[in-house]
Amino acid sequence: MSVISLVALALLVMVAGGFYMGRTRAIKQVAGRSSELHSLPNYYGYYVALWTGFPALLLLAAYGLFGAASTHSWTVAELRAQAHEMSAQFEGDLAANSEYVQLESTLESLELTVNGLREELARLRRANDADRDPHLIQLRLEEQRSSRALLALAGTSIEDYRTGVATGMLVTARETGVAASIRAGFFLTHSDIVRAELFMSDARKIARGETPSELLPELEIVASRLTDHQNTLRNSVGLLVLALAAIALLWTRSQIQPQFRARNNVERLTTVLLIAASILSIITTIGIVLSMLFESMRFFSIIPIQDFLFGLHWSPQIAIREDQLGQSGAFGAIPLFAGTAMITLIAMLVAVPIGLFSAIYLSEYAAPKFRTIAKPVLEVLAGVPTVVFGFFALLTVGPAIRALFTSLGFESAVTQSALSAGLVMGVMIIPFISSLSDDVINAVPQSLRDGSYAMGATRSETVVHVVIPAALPGIFGAVLLAISRAIGETMIVVMAAGQGANLTANPLESVTTITVQIVALLTGDLEFEGPKTLSAFALGLTLFAVTLLMNVIALRVVQKYREKYD
Amino acid sequence: MTEPSKKAATREIVERNLPARYRSESRFRTAGIVAIIVSVIILVLLIGSIGLKSLPAYTAWQIHLPVALDQALVDPEGDSSEASIRQGSFGRVLQNGMRETFPDVSGRSNMRSLFQLYTSLNSTRLMDQVIADPGLIGSDYVFTMPLGDDLDLYLKGMLVEDRSVEMNGVLEIEAGRRRTNIQSQSADFAIVLAELQQMMIDEALSLESRAAANRTLMASVDAEEADRLNEEAARFDQRAQVLRTDAAGENGQLELSDDLPSVIVEFRGGAIRMNRLDLNGQGGSGESILSIAENRSDEAWTLYVVDTPQARRRIPDNQLIWTRALVERGIVTQAFNHYFFANADSREPELAGIRGALNGSILTLIVTLLLSIPVGIATAIYLEEFAPKNKFTDLIEVNINNLAAVPSIIFGLLGVAIFIDVFSLPRGTPVLGGLVLSLMTLPTIIIATRASLKAVPPSIRQAALGVGASRTQSVFHHVLPLATPGILTGSIIGLSRALGETAPLLMIGMVAFIADAPKLSLEGFTEPATVLPVQIYLWYSAAERAFEPRAAAAIIVLLTLIISFNAVAVYLRRKFERRW
Repeated sequence: MSVISLVALALLVMVAGGFYMGRTRAIKQVAGRSSELHSLPNYYGYYVALWTGFPALLLLAAYGLFGAASTHSWTVAELRAQAHEMSAQFEGDLAANSEYVQLESTLESLELTVNGLREELARLRRANDADRDPHLIQLRLEEQRSSRALLALAGTSIEDYRTGVATGMLVTARETGVAASIRAGFFLTHSDIVRAELFMSDARKIARGETPSELLPELEIVASRLTDHQNTLRNSVGLLVLALAAIALLWTRSQIQPQFRARNNVERLTTVLLIAASILSIITTIGIVLSMLFESMRFFSIIPIQDFLFGLHWSPQIAIREDQLGQSGAFGAIPLFAGTAMITLIAMLVAVPIGLFSAIYLSEYAAPKFRTIAKPVLEVLAGVPTVVFGFFALLTVGPAIRALFTSLGFESAVTQSALSAGLVMGVMIIPFISSLSDDVINAVPQSLRDGSYAMGATRSETVVHVVIPAALPGIFGAVLLAISRAIGETMIVVMAAGQGANLTANPLESVTTITVQIVALLTGDLEFEGPKTLSAFALGLTLFAVTLLMNVIALRVVQKYREKYD
Repeated sequence: MTEPSKKAATREIVERNLPARYRSESRFRTAGIVAIIVSVIILVLLIGSIGLKSLPAYTAWQIHLPVALDQALVDPEGDSSEASIRQGSFGRVLQNGMRETFPDVSGRSNMRSLFQLYTSLNSTRLMDQVIADPGLIGSDYVFTMPLGDDLDLYLKGMLVEDRSVEMNGVLEIEAGRRRTNIQSQSADFAIVLAELQQMMIDEALSLESRAAANRTLMASVDAEEADRLNEEAARFDQRAQVLRTDAAGENGQLELSDDLPSVIVEFRGGAIRMNRLDLNGQGGSGESILSIAENRSDEAWTLYVVDTPQARRRIPDNQLIWTRALVERGIVTQAFNHYFFANADSREPELAGIRGALNGSILTLIVTLLLSIPVGIATAIYLEEFAPKNKFTDLIEVNINNLAAVPSIIFGLLGVAIFIDVFSLPRGTPVLGGLVLSLMTLPTIIIATRASLKAVPPSIRQAALGVGASRTQSVFHHVLPLATPGILTGSIIGLSRALGETAPLLMIGMVAFIADAPKLSLEGFTEPATVLPVQIYLWYSAAERAFEPRAAAAIIVLLTLIISFNAVAVYLRRKFERRW
């Protein structure tokens, strides 16, 4: 049994003990006449138990969240400090190396050029319309672009040079028998982020007892340090938790007197906990927004935002291989937006009529008995996981559509088509639309219908001319919510729509969507931070913004409408 | 008298229009019924088609292979200790068992083909069985293992098109070292022969028509393209020519290539794969795959034709023949596929099961449950019972409603950016998955709890306050217990959504291949795991065809779980629902 579960168990025992001790102490102080106590005896128990448990539990939770990260950074920092001398020697060697000094001065002069060009451009752009020289601006822009490319190149070559020298030093260090921990620290200080990350993840694997991708003495020493530090941290946190709980227990117990306002204290603490719980949802939203904004900003610092939003070409793979500054065209998200829009449109063409008619029939025509059968069917359809719909789309609907259209003479029909994904997504959304519309239709007051019937209207005339217009804002809101759901739906399109970013209006071809690309970019073992991974966050931000906008409008509309008839 | 006539006119108009109005009424009504029927049909189609696809996964063809567990092979140290048994060569034991079963198989490539009837992973299973019971060492043991996935599908009739014809003519068999000649007294092979020849001629015709199509196209393209088309047409013509010559036969025999259906003669427990057929339809020559039993004298024989050519399937003829022989001898039998329910994922479909994913789902749901239900209920209580009406409360409310509609994949991105990158939580573990899913289900639970708190009439609260309870006491002692059924229903529905959720878990790395089922213990929470829906996704994207029925069967298991979750929720709602 691990240390942490032991600590958790001990904490549980202390909480239970705290409750018992608080209660008995209170009763003992009034010699069993509990009516002399300010609060019911149980509240004294709750008081001790709450204070014993909560601060300690918070500490434990914080360890759970931050423990791994702090072990990691502690180890890395320690190793780097150990390699301090070797690093100093490395910098010294480089400073004495004329080739490297040459490279550095090139880099500096290029930086100066780029800065100069930027200032000049800014000045040119600020100039009055009359003095403005579009030709010169164009020229300077060209110059700026080329010198930026050069700068990037110089930056890379300097990095390469440093890595080369560092690798050389590591080889010599291994031969001359420098301690493995120093070599590991040196490696972590001077290799690029990707390789350092891979190195550390291998070390973590060894520490966990899994098989790493390679076995080096450096890795083993890092792994043993990781284990040591993890143990130290865990044991000290465990002790601290128990100490905190014990102190809280003793202190709160000592406070207990007959006139102590235990109930008010407990209730105040309860309210604080309730508020904390409700703030969690705000924190979640802030977390979503901040994380996406932060990562997207990093992405947009590499790829200009207008290239992302209006570019017609999406192929994140190419941008990795070629020069990333020049290849901004590969991150044009228009094909993804178009694909998402087409699939959503097809889905809505299926879901809105069927869902709306189901809702109308269920609320206006159906006998109660029929309702009790039909409603659960729709509920089951609503509960089917999306991965199941994806499976259905790919293995049943896709081939059927392909066979149908190939027999009609459309030779280009494929199994993974926008049509099959859209149709199945429509099916998924039917229960969503029907249950939301059912609610709004039921909210239309009976008096409106009665009035219409009194005028001699048939049921369908009443529905079309009275009920639907009255419920229209609500239905509009429902459709909007459904659209936002269709845009954000992932598994159906991942499985049934394909990966190719085609900009096409033909629903028989395969298209790709925002969500498909997010999944494609972030699954797999890629852990490093190129524009490729970052672009997933830019797509996520777009998705979040669009769906948020729709949800806000839809919720407003629905709410306004509800108020009208309440 | 204008008044009555006007009335009559109105009445007339109304009556005239009435049939049309009634017709449109019934049309409208029909449209409503159709819409519902469509939904029902789709649901039936969905579950039906997946259920049908899943059928092959519930049974497995198994080999009950007699093996000799020689001490020298399985227990090199001779002390029956686990360490010693782990050094044993169990792969060899299985291979020896197969060789005993088919003593006349020789040649390296034939042997390799024979050992592919099962996956070599089975040797580990045999080892585990011996470790569990060291008394087996030195004994003769019947080891049960699943047949290879392709052969399993073959026996279920899903991999190849084949037919077998019972024949009664008298065969004369002349077995040579390399070649076995067969002669029948009547033209037993004539029908098959004619079919094969027709097939070759048809293929030649289609090649010739493609060549002709190329030549017509040549007129309308540029010179370079025309050259290419011409060359291709020449190639087509050449291949057609070859086919026609082959179809005519040579030396009175037709040669059977791998691109043609396989013709196999089964006779007295033996099998001969035909390489040539005599053009008179009375016999031919072939390769003896299983030798004919000397002690049998029955005359009946079977002509077994596999219409899918050997070149276009993953399993060669000799494996088909061996498998058929094993079925006939009773060594291969069909049984309930317990591997599917007892095993975790595996690279080999016949050994792959849902146990690992099921355990992962349970662990993940436990985390989700422990986090989202207390926090969700607490939030709902605060908002419904304690919160003052102000801007901040409004903000929380709007925020929760919006979170409920945020696409689930966004929560996956949050998991990557915050929990993995910032907090370095271990990727792909139930703790991380549960954390992400609980953030996702939180709004659902909050909204459901608020609705059921709202349904408790104010009189309950007033009565509690009236007898001197504090506000907290009135909520926790009176309102909350009355709202429990509703809260429970909402929580179960939220959890069933979490159970079926895939996308965010894909992003936080729960897609790894997990060969050992995570233990249902505290350690299990921090070990990499996968969950049922992700397992379905993994199997759907796997290459082997045999994973498809398994994915479908996993869907059936998942749907059963989700529908029973929902059924429990509906039952609770019906049973405890109170109208005030």
